[in-house]
Formats: sequence, C-alpha cells, structure tokens
Amino acid sequence: MLQLEPQNPLIKESFTTVLDKEYAPISLDRIITDFDFTSYKISTPTSKTTILFSISIKCWKDLLNYGVLELVHSRYSQYPFITIDDRATQDPGYDLSLIVDLQAYHQVIDSVNVDELIEELSLLKRNCFAAPFLQAFNRYQDLSQNVKIDPNNLYGEDSQISSNEQVLKLDYRDAESIYIKPSHDRVTVIFSTIFSDEIDKVFSKVFLQEFSDARKRSIQKAPQVINSHNEVPLEIKHLVHDPDNKDKVYITFVLFPRHLNTEEHKWNSITHIQLFRSYFHYHIKIVKCYLHQRMRFRVNTFTKILNRARRDVDEEEMRAERKTASGRRFEQRV
Amino acid sequence: MASAQTPAVIMDNGTGLTKLGFAGNDSPSWVFPMAIATSVASSGNKPAAPTKPSFRASTTASSTSSISGGNLSTGINKRDMADLDFFIGDEALEAAKGPSYSLSYPIRHGQIENWDQMERFWETSIFKYLKCEPEDHYFLLTEPPLNPPENRENTAEIMFESFNCAGLYIAVQAVLALAASWTSSKVTDRSLTGTVIDSGDGVTHVIPVAEGYVIGSAIKNVPLAGRDITSFIQTMLRERGEKDTSLRTAEKIKQQFCYVCPDIVKEFNKFDSHPDMFAKYMVETVSQRKIEVDVGYERFLAPEIFFNPEIASSDFLTPLPTIVDQCIQASPIDVRKNLYKNIVLSGGSTMFKDFGRRLQRDLKGLVNERVHSSERRSGTKSSGVQVQVISHKRQKNAVWFGGSLLAQTGEFRGYCHTKRDYEEYGPNIVRSFSLFNAV
Ligand SMILES: Nc1ncnc2c1ncn2[C@@H]1O[C@H](COP(=O)(O)OP(=O)(O)O)[C@@H](O)[C@H]1O
Ligand SMILES: [Mg+2]
Repeated sequence: MLQLEPQNPLIKESFTTVLDKEYAPISLDRIITDFDFTSYKISTPTSKTTILFSISIKCWKDLLNYGVLELVHSRYSQYPFITIDDRATQDPGYDLSLIVDLQAYHQVIDSVNVDELIEELSLLKRNCFAAPFLQAFNRYQDLSQNVKIDPNNLYGEDSQISSNEQVLKLDYRDAESIYIKPSHDRVTVIFSTIFSDEIDKVFSKVFLQEFSDARKRSIQKAPQVINSHNEVPLEIKHLVHDPDNKDKVYITFVLFPRHLNTEEHKWNSITHIQLFRSYFHYHIKIVKCYLHQRMRFRVNTFTKILNRARRDVDEEEMRAERKTASGRRFEQRV
Repeated sequence: MASAQTPAVIMDNGTGLTKLGFAGNDSPSWVFPMAIATSVASSGNKPAAPTKPSFRASTTASSTSSISGGNLSTGINKRDMADLDFFIGDEALEAAKGPSYSLSYPIRHGQIENWDQMERFWETSIFKYLKCEPEDHYFLLTEPPLNPPENRENTAEIMFESFNCAGLYIAVQAVLALAASWTSSKVTDRSLTGTVIDSGDGVTHVIPVAEGYVIGSAIKNVPLAGRDITSFIQTMLRERGEKDTSLRTAEKIKQQFCYVCPDIVKEFNKFDSHPDMFAKYMVETVSQRKIEVDVGYERFLAPEIFFNPEIASSDFLTPLPTIVDQCIQASPIDVRKNLYKNIVLSGGSTMFKDFGRRLQRDLKGLVNERVHSSERRSGTKSSGVQVQVISHKRQKNAVWFGGSLLAQTGEFRGYCHTKRDYEEYGPNIVRSFSLFNAV
C-alpha cells in the first residue's frame, strides 16, 4: 500500500498493450517520467511496428563511466527483436534507445516469456542505476578474496587498503549524490539528500532515527544504517564540495556479505537502495498528509464545541444590541 | 527544483473520472474512477486498541524491503494506522467489494468535498501512479466554474505545504476545453470565446466564456449526465429481464452502442423494419462463460434524454438546446454572436455519435424562429445568426488535453505561482492566475 514499486507502471502498461498477440499497430508518441529526473519516450517515428523506447537519466554521464552500456546489453540483447542504440541517435535529448521490432517479435512470439520481457522493460531505470552498484560489488568480491582478515582487527575497522579504495559517485539529482565504496568485507552506500522545506527537515530527523533504531528492535537482517545530519561521513570527505551545507543530510547503509552473497540478494539490495531517496521523501509526505488530517479533525471538533457554546440571540436582543459606530444605542420608538 | 526538461503534470479530477498525465502528450496517462476506498476501521470511532503496527502494510514485502520500512513509533493506535490504509481508482473499486473498505467519492458536483480524502488521493496519484517527485514538477490542476476561492486556497495549501510542488496553475475547465478545440479544422481563429458544453459523469454545465473569462451569471446546470444515462439503460435492461443488468454492463452498452438519432418516431419504425438494428452485447465472465444481452431501443433512447428529458426525469424538463439558447441569451449582447458561432463539446457524455449534429440542428431551429419573429415584428431583414457546434477528436478528455496544450508552451511556468511566492505571500495568491493568451 505505501510501497513504491521499482517498475514503472506506465511503461508496463504500454508494453503490455503493444506486445499483446492481437495488438493492432497504431502510431505512438508519449512521454513518461520517473523519479530522479528520469524520462522515457515511447514513439513510432518510422513505422507503426517499430517501437522506439528511449530513456534519459540525469546522471547518465556517471553511469557511462560505471559500465551502464555493458549492463544494458547483457540484459536486453538476449531478445533478438530488440536493437540497442547506445546514443539514442533517433531521439535527441535522450540517452539510450531500445528499438523493438514488432514484426520480428511476432515471428518468435512463442519462444518469448512475454511477462518477463515486460517486467524487464519496465525496470529499465533500475537496471541502468544498477551499473555502479554491480561494479562496486565485483570490486568487493575481488578485495575479499585477496585481503586476509586481520585477526587483530577485532572491531572491524577499515583496514588501510580499503580506505584508499576509489569511491563511486553518482550525481543523481541537482545537488544530491550517491557514493558507493567497496571494501574487503562490506560495501558502504552513502546518500546525500536535501530537504528544502523546514518541516520536512524535522521529520527527516525523526525518520532517520527510526531507521537506525529499527535494527536494534526487530529487523536484524536489515543493513546497518548510520545517519549524520550535517556532518560529512569520513569516507567521502574528500569528494564533497559543499561540506557546510546545512540542508544536506547524509545517510549511510552498510551492506554486509549476507546482502551480497547471491545474485538475488544483490539485485534485491540494489532495487531497494536506488529507490530509497524517493521512498524517504514519499513517506515524509505521507506523514504530513496524515498530520493534516488529524489537524482538520481537531479543528472540526473544536468548532463543534464552540458552536454548542454559542447562545442563540433572538430578534429582540439583536435590536437592543445594535449600536452606532460611536457606540451609541439606537432609540427604539414603537 | 524542477529542471528545464521535466514536463508539467496535468491533473483533471472530475466528478466521475480522474485524468492524469504529462504535458505534451495527446492523451492522459491514467484515467480511473475518482474513488477512494478507506479502511472501515478509520471511519468508526472505536476505542483505540494499542498495537504494534508496522509501517510496511503489505504482508508480501520481502525481507530486504525492511531496509526502508522499519517500525514507526509504537505509540500509534489502530485507528490512526487505519488512516494510512486506503486505495484509489480501480483498486479502490476492487477493495470495496470486500467488507473491510468503504468507498467514497471526494468530489461532488465537480467540487472537492472531502479534503482528507482528496489529499490522500493526490498523494497516491503523484507518487505511485505518475512516479513523480512533486518538487521536480510544475502542476496544472483544473476546477469547475464558480469554484469558491477558498477551495483554491485549500488546494494550494495541500500542493505547496504537503507536497512542496515546484509550481502550480489552477485553470477553469471550460477555458481548457476551449483551448482543446483549437485542434479542430473548423476553428479558424484561436480565441478563448465560446460556449462550452461540458458533460461528464455527474453534471452537465453550459458555460459561456468571453476572452478567457467565464460569464458566471449566465452559467446553466443540467442535472442530467453520464450516470443518469447509464442508470436509464440499466432500468430498460431490468424491465426486459435481461440476464445481466449490472451497472458495468449498462456502462459498456452505453459506450459501445448508443447514438443520437434525428427523430425518435422514425427511429422506432426503422428498428421495427430492420431487425439488424438490434444488437447483442457479450458479457465476459470470469468462468469463460459468455452471457448474451440484447440491446434494443435504448441505443437511441438513452442519449435522447438530453433532448427530451421527460423520458427519464420528472422534475427537470428543459431540453439541452433550449438551455444553451437561454444561456447565450443571458450573456452580454456584444458577445452573443461569437458564443453561437463557437459551441464546443467536452467530456465523456458528449461522445455519442451525432450528438453535435442534433444539437446544432435543434439550436438552429430555435434561433431561426426567434430571428423570423423579430423580422416579422420589425419588418426588416436580419443578417442571421451563425450557429456552429464543434466536435473534435480530443473531445472526450478535452479539459485534460487543453491543459496539456497550454502547459507544454515555454511561457507556462511564467504563469504559475511557485512555492517561493506561496511562502512569501500566503495562500491567497492563488485567488488569481493570469490568463493564457493565444499560443
Ligand atoms: N464513448 C462514450 N460514450 C458515452 N459516454 C461515455 C463514453 N466514454 C465515457 N463516457 C462517459 O463519460 C463520463 C465521464 O466523463 P468525464 O468527462 O470524464 O466526467 P467527469 O469529468 O465529470 O469525471 C462517464 O459517465 C462515462 O460513462
Ligand atoms: Mg470533467
């Protein structure tokens, strides 16, 4: 109910229609958006049976550095009727296009798992955002095999080697970033986010405290969450240009080997972490709506009480009460 | 902050259906019932039982979803949590079939009646259906004619204070419908003067607009609209004892088979001499069994209630063409000519085939009669009045489409009030919006 899905429902719906066996091709031209300044366009510029599906992501440049193209190819090139245009040459302003040839699709339709394909298309944004995470996870695997665990490091402090490890940075919004740092026994993900609204800021503090406390209570499997309000975490100190920004909040997730041991766990972690910012802001808004509801309820009850307290004034009294501007009474002549 | 690229969000919340989507598209991304299903526990005033609720409502949440879930405070009682338990749109209709949810429609007669529900409806529309961070987008919302300014302020309060949306424009539905008619080839000058006939689910409005301003004193309401046509069909199906007389079936029959005829008596005869005019509607059931429903005279009788209201209603008896005529006659004399020339249809219930043609013919009849009688009285020849009813491709969601047209222009953001304006001047800034001129 209050969950946000990683799939884009409109992409899902569009392709459910388009990939249907009985679909009668029409010309399409629609824009769809997603969180974090992501937009999609589904159009048919050349022919009604060639669907051009383009995406633009704000931090595309960063993603390119982290191997997003290889990842997209590995996930979508298994479908023979999909061509990948790495530079969205047909759609100026967009970053990448998938071209779905419906005629070719109909020839192999029986061998395609359509539901899976639709799911995969509606997860395009998540798949793109996964690139830096996967890179960091791979690096973690390398490191964990090469670095012997120091028996003297009882407190699990960062060892010398991993503290020099390169941090992967994604400027996913205007002044908000994701930092990912692999090390030999964990992957640390740090979000920076901004609350422009004062009330939101207060709520965010309460929420973050809850996140950190949640683990102590019941949800042992959840990753460790550390939050620091205005203090830049040590790991990324050298990367932050505006360390004095008082509106910025840093949230650190620590992913331990148990979050990274299988493919399924890895993708699960990615899916949830890349939605975290939207989720966080969404829930703060839910709480605000909820409080407004309570306040309206309160005001209504108070108004009711006040109305009950009001005495009915009858006509006679009204007339007696009538005064001029200077406070003098009207003389009633009958 | 919204970047230059992010498209504006257009939300047209009607009495029956909500239309949501992005500026620049030619049809809304979502069209679903304007309904919200709330947990029954939240409406009753039961004593609060202390529980330990989870912020994750879905029981199917996977283990890692607790990354972002986590328990909220433990001090919240059951009733409070029930406020967070709701569905909107088609999901709401589905949920309301069970015993634990009750269904409500927060908009009555085009105006927002229940702000609690509306706020939750918007919250879910924006985040879950459109996947938008409202801080990144400008919003265009629509309002019915003669909406009290307090309602605008309440709307602004929610949009700015709850959602921090980047900017807001509230447009009058009729004006957007006029803008949408610019796509018709019959419209030569893109003016915002005309008579809008907006017939949705709950009400039909006839609204004269002069240069973008609604002539409030001349607006006419007709209490007949989509809902009444559907229930008229349903009654006819019941009287004949059809196998399926559900509202859903009646609704489907209305949309698929109904049309407006030029003359009822002739149409009855036509049906009797051509049995192929009777249609059959197949109801698809879950169990793959097909139920057949006969469709007869209701094909033309149902939409006929606009032109002969007495067949469905006993208290409202004025035909729509007469109402339109009265409305224009009640407007200032210098704009009447342009109001007759540009009569624009908008809303789902104007979608019946030949609706516009019949309206134009009947209205022409009324106007010509008046012109003749005044000619006879004065003995002079009048230049005549041109009556033109405009139907166009985007008529069904005309209000939404008009919004999309205006909000995709480069000037749009300049006409919006921003969050900064709101914080500086307070809610009453939304009492006025500058008007869009021609695009
Ligand atoms: N093709 C159609 N023919 C007749 N009625 C239709 C058609 N499509 C939709 N409707 C009716 O239009 C109404 C919804 O119109 P809309 O303008 O969206 O209403 P509102 O703005 O009041 O919610 C519904 O009653 C629906 O049954
Ligand atoms: Mg409407």
